[in-house]
Amino acid sequence: MQSPLILLCQRKEVGAVGKLKPRTRQQMISWLIMLPGILLFAFFVWAPLLQSIQMSLYRTRNIELLEFVGFNNYISIFRREEFHQALVNTFSYTFWSLLIGFLIPIFMALVIGETVRGKGFFRTAAYVPNILPGLAAIILWTAFFSAEATGVINILLSKLGIERMAFLSQANLVIPIIVLTATWKGAGATALIYMAGLSGINPELYEAATIDGAGIIKRIRHITLPAIFSLGSTLLILQIISIFQIMYEPLVLTKGGPDNASLSLMLLMWRYAFGGTMDFGRASAVAVIISVILLGFTALYSIVNRRKTEWE
Amino acid sequence: MKKRIRFLAILASLCILLTAYTPAVMGSSASAASSELEGISAEVVDADLTCTITLGNWPPDTAPAAELALFEGYRAIMQLQYPNVTVVPAYFSYTLSNYLPMARGGTAPTVFQPPFTDPQLLINQNLVADVTDALEQFGILEKFSPSFVELLGDENGRIYGLPRDGYVLGMHININLFEQAGLMTDDGLPMIPKTLQELAEYGQIIREKTGKAGLVFPASETFGGWLYTNIAWNYGAVGENALQYQDADGRWMANFTSEPAVAAMEYLRSLRWDYDILNADATTTDWASAHSFLGTGEAAMNFAADDSVAEPTAGGGLAVDKFALIPFPAGPGGAYALTGGTCFMFAPDTTHDQAVATLGFLRIIGMLPFASDDIVAGMRAGAAARRERGVPVLPPIPAWNDADFIAVQREIAEEYANVDMRLYQDFFDSLTDGSVALKGEEPVFAQQLYRELTSVIQRLITREDADVLRALSQAQERFQEYLDDELNNR
Repeated sequence: MQSPLILLCQRKEVGAVGKLKPRTRQQMISWLIMLPGILLFAFFVWAPLLQSIQMSLYRTRNIELLEFVGFNNYISIFRREEFHQALVNTFSYTFWSLLIGFLIPIFMALVIGETVRGKGFFRTAAYVPNILPGLAAIILWTAFFSAEATGVINILLSKLGIERMAFLSQANLVIPIIVLTATWKGAGATALIYMAGLSGINPELYEAATIDGAGIIKRIRHITLPAIFSLGSTLLILQIISIFQIMYEPLVLTKGGPDNASLSLMLLMWRYAFGGTMDFGRASAVAVIISVILLGFTALYSIVNRRKTEWE
Repeated sequence: MKKRIRFLAILASLCILLTAYTPAVMGSSASAASSELEGISAEVVDADLTCTITLGNWPPDTAPAAELALFEGYRAIMQLQYPNVTVVPAYFSYTLSNYLPMARGGTAPTVFQPPFTDPQLLINQNLVADVTDALEQFGILEKFSPSFVELLGDENGRIYGLPRDGYVLGMHININLFEQAGLMTDDGLPMIPKTLQELAEYGQIIREKTGKAGLVFPASETFGGWLYTNIAWNYGAVGENALQYQDADGRWMANFTSEPAVAAMEYLRSLRWDYDILNADATTTDWASAHSFLGTGEAAMNFAADDSVAEPTAGGGLAVDKFALIPFPAGPGGAYALTGGTCFMFAPDTTHDQAVATLGFLRIIGMLPFASDDIVAGMRAGAAARRERGVPVLPPIPAWNDADFIAVQREIAEEYANVDMRLYQDFFDSLTDGSVALKGEEPVFAQQLYRELTSVIQRLITREDADVLRALSQAQERFQEYLDDELNNR
């Protein structure tokens, strides 16, 4: 059923529109359909994006622009040790996220996919953490990792005779722990996407492989993984983009500590803006730097993807 | 089946009993505070004033009944005194990050309560309203002490707020843990640490005897650095050894590597690695959870002030007779205590009428410096509500330059006293007998300074091999860069 707008434009007697060439008319209809979306995007995405770039080039008084300072905000940020640390930490988050967070959903999808009984239950159970509000989930983990007498993990460890540990006070542990909490929350949703991908695989391939004597490992290796490779690479780049913007997890769990060991670029941006100095110029500069890095990742992904398609 | 019906019947009866009983209890607890409100005049003050005011820090629905009833009573009186002023409660509790978007978006409450660390930042950022004329109309300006004019005003002498109350940093004590550790005098009072060295030693005894933390130390965000500054002053980081100073050219210089500053940081380090008295998760502990640790008996001591005695008691469940407030322990370089406070400030779009109406409300709740019947009744109602909630009712730290008003405040505190004042005597004596020198916060970019110092503390209490001098030198370099960027090179 066509929309009233399209029907109206298709009627020849509608004045000037009716006199247009069919191709032009069709283009006009397309633009009209897209217009609300474009307006919303312009207002909520592009305008703030451009404003951020503009703000990063100014000295500011909260969100007011006071004086054009060129790239001074960027130069001052690049000089600061906290920025270097936040940049290194953010790449560390990405590394741990790929190590922990990328493989777990695939593993979950494969295991649930191979499950014969209670598949629906496991699918729901895997998704449940995703329903929890983000902050609530992190506060829950805070109680788990607490080194005080009420810390759940420490209570369990003490039952095993292991000494109490301050997990969130250890600089080398804090990023993997934060990634673990983020993975716990998000892995179920990603696993569902993989499961959808897996359901598209022709079952005859598995039957043929089974008849040829292929076991479960070989079936996964030669049929399942190649089939979800394309999906996996898309989710990989999305995961990198997502983890690069990690903020509220370290903000709630560790506040960037100990000694900035879990400070991410987004958290640094938040600190400049709301951490007591209201330095929106530098905060915007950090935001632009994050965008540039992510654009770089996306471009890299596009190149790799294009080459892969050409090769195939 | 019969059993199930019987169980349901018992459950239903219990529910009915509880619902019938609860309002009665609440009603009785609310009554004392509400009866004090009867002393406030119900006569019309200004019938022509027409506006709507939104009042931040209004108690939420989950607040104790006594407090809710008190504020509803205040609102009813406001309605009588200013019939055309609409009061809108706002459950807004100020933090810089939640205030900024509201102020810029025009949704900030008419009045809110920031700590003394923020007024100058808010004034410089154009995020608060000039209320000089309204303050003048109420005759309050002459009661401002000069330091408050400096704190709440700009370079043109315009004023943007008024003080609510002051505080002096001291130490909260959980007496239960002192008792368990055997740290009690023959008079049944806790053996309070008078020096930082004693604090470490007593904390160690408490750790050994009870297994609980001797000291809860909030070392997250900026809190650790904030507390460290007071310890550093007591080690002698003042005057020529101050943590920041202006050189002959007027440039601001960071100075974290003086002998007293290093010694103070060594002391903090020793609390973790030598005495082992700190709570286990100090790097993630914030101000609120520190109070909670003390209130729930997970820690015996907490550096905190007289304005937060409600948190470990009414908030954390510690009985008022098991709580003490003592002076900040002295160090080898002196005995200083950080002083600060909380103020009332106004949203940037506040009109003159709104400012006048809000001051009218502040008069009703006893926050203006006059000893009139109305204000005294408002103050009494506040004290009665605190007593009913199980909050220690203490003499306030004066925020106004008015001897009569201060005397009335003290009288009311004595009248409603619910504590053994011996548990507070040293603290209040130290404010007047000169045994502790009161000192304001570090002068420029205090929050950034605290953040840098907190990072140092976090490194030292999580890595036994960390070098104190090196960590402080690096922090000094970072803070100096910040000072150069923001002040010296502008």
